[in-house]
Amino acid sequence: MAESKSRKAARRRYGRLAPRVTVLAVLLGGWWAFAAAGVISEDLVPTPLGTVRAWAELVVTAEYWNSILETLRGAAAGLLFAMVIGVPIGLLTGTYAALERCTRVLFDVLRTFPGIAMLPVFLLILGATFTMKAVVVFIACVFIIVLQAQYGARSVTPTIRETVRAYRIPKRLWFRRVVLPSSIPSIMTGLRLAAALSVLVAIGVEVLTTVPGIGFRVTEAQLGNDSSSAWAYILTAGVLGFLIVVMSELAESRLLRWRPSSRLEM
Amino acid sequence: MNAYQKVRAGLAMLWLPIAVLAAAWVATAAADSFYFPTPPVILEALIDGFRQDHLWDDLVFSVRNIGVAVLLGSAAAVCVGLIIGESRALTHATAPFLTFARATPMVAFIPIFIITFGIGAAPKIIVIAIGVFWPVLLNTITGIRGIHPAVRETAVSFRIPKLLYLRRIVLPGAAPQIFAGLRIAIAVALVLMVVSEIYGSSVGLGNYILESGARFQVAATWAGTVVIGALGYGLSSALILLERRVLGWHQERPRKNSRPKRRGSPAVSGVFASRRG
Repeated sequence: MAESKSRKAARRRYGRLAPRVTVLAVLLGGWWAFAAAGVISEDLVPTPLGTVRAWAELVVTAEYWNSILETLRGAAAGLLFAMVIGVPIGLLTGTYAALERCTRVLFDVLRTFPGIAMLPVFLLILGATFTMKAVVVFIACVFIIVLQAQYGARSVTPTIRETVRAYRIPKRLWFRRVVLPSSIPSIMTGLRLAAALSVLVAIGVEVLTTVPGIGFRVTEAQLGNDSSSAWAYILTAGVLGFLIVVMSELAESRLLRWRPSSRLEM
Repeated sequence: MNAYQKVRAGLAMLWLPIAVLAAAWVATAAADSFYFPTPPVILEALIDGFRQDHLWDDLVFSVRNIGVAVLLGSAAAVCVGLIIGESRALTHATAPFLTFARATPMVAFIPIFIITFGIGAAPKIIVIAIGVFWPVLLNTITGIRGIHPAVRETAVSFRIPKLLYLRRIVLPGAAPQIFAGLRIAIAVALVLMVVSEIYGSSVGLGNYILESGARFQVAATWAGTVVIGALGYGLSSALILLERRVLGWHQERPRKNSRPKRRGSPAVSGVFASRRG
């Protein structure tokens, strides 16, 4: 009985996996055919095999892991500061209408500002350093977090607001037990978006400057006509981004277990 | 609302931005730092840039690139999204690869494209279009999958022709999600535009801020940064206007103090609203 059940589960798992494996095979085959046909020079698109070979060579070097660490460190530092500063500002401006009103114009303009455009300015002030990378990431991420936290705090319904007032619930208790829980879903969405953006911006900074990290390695490899290594680094960046998305979704569903899922199954 | 109330409401919104600007002015004037010029100096550099330097050409180049790329990328994404999203099996089979592609930082491709194809406009447009493609594609699929099954079944039982069904039911149903994807896509597009122009270009706003920075014309660098900020604000405002026009029937942004709607429900209201209209 137990065996047949597990076999059924295995078959179901296979049934779920088979189409994905097919798609993977089609993608790899397409890539290989595209590269082998030689329509586009090998400097742009290396073969899958060449890329895997380059990756296998890279993965044993300390340089490879160091650049991953450097990218993550810059992204995480900027993101952490953006969170520590952005969430309280967002919750405060979301709770008090007067604060929301006076910050609206400011946030509206700053929200759309691409943080990476500050790069030349910060390059002059701070030089091509780790601090500079973290600061650019911070600027790029902080407003998403502020606005999502604000949106979350505003989602407390008037009925709840009035009930809390009627029972004279102390401010701090109200903040901790009402505002925070009801805004966490929105804050988590903001963090998820910001986490993906932080890696994007960190790599962008590395592509443009000599700050160590994945982006710098891609540039270096491509300049050295070693497109296989460049692609290996790009795919590494993709895996990194993918892991961040998966992990933040996992954290979100863990933290919000009490709440029905808002995400549609894909 | 009388005039006095209008002025009061305006002041309640504007006092902080004005105060921030004033504080920045005082601080930069007091610090007298080479790196932080005062607002009037930046304004002067901005006017000079447009009048004497090639800032106007740079702006036109950047706007044209990002405009063409966003149009191409999102149009392709919506078409592919319709195909994938309409099939549950295809959605399921491609999901992890699409998430992976969406998560791959496109900026890393910039060196490859520019070193191989040169510093012209075409490689930049391609990179930006690819960056726009993924978020719009994923959101189109999510939007289509979120359409209530009853809507689909109704369309089937009334034998609504496929093309009409896609145009009048699926597209409006997914539109709120598509616009949410476009909002993300524009942010990505701006980053890619700036990075690609800084990385290798002889024109463009990114090149302007890089060049002026390298020549230590700090005021001009700040002025270019302000222009990029204005471009970002303009693009997102244009998108919001378009969204209001297209999604007038669907109050996507919740009004103050109202709970956000659950996903999925808009699709139903969308279909009925689009029929009425």
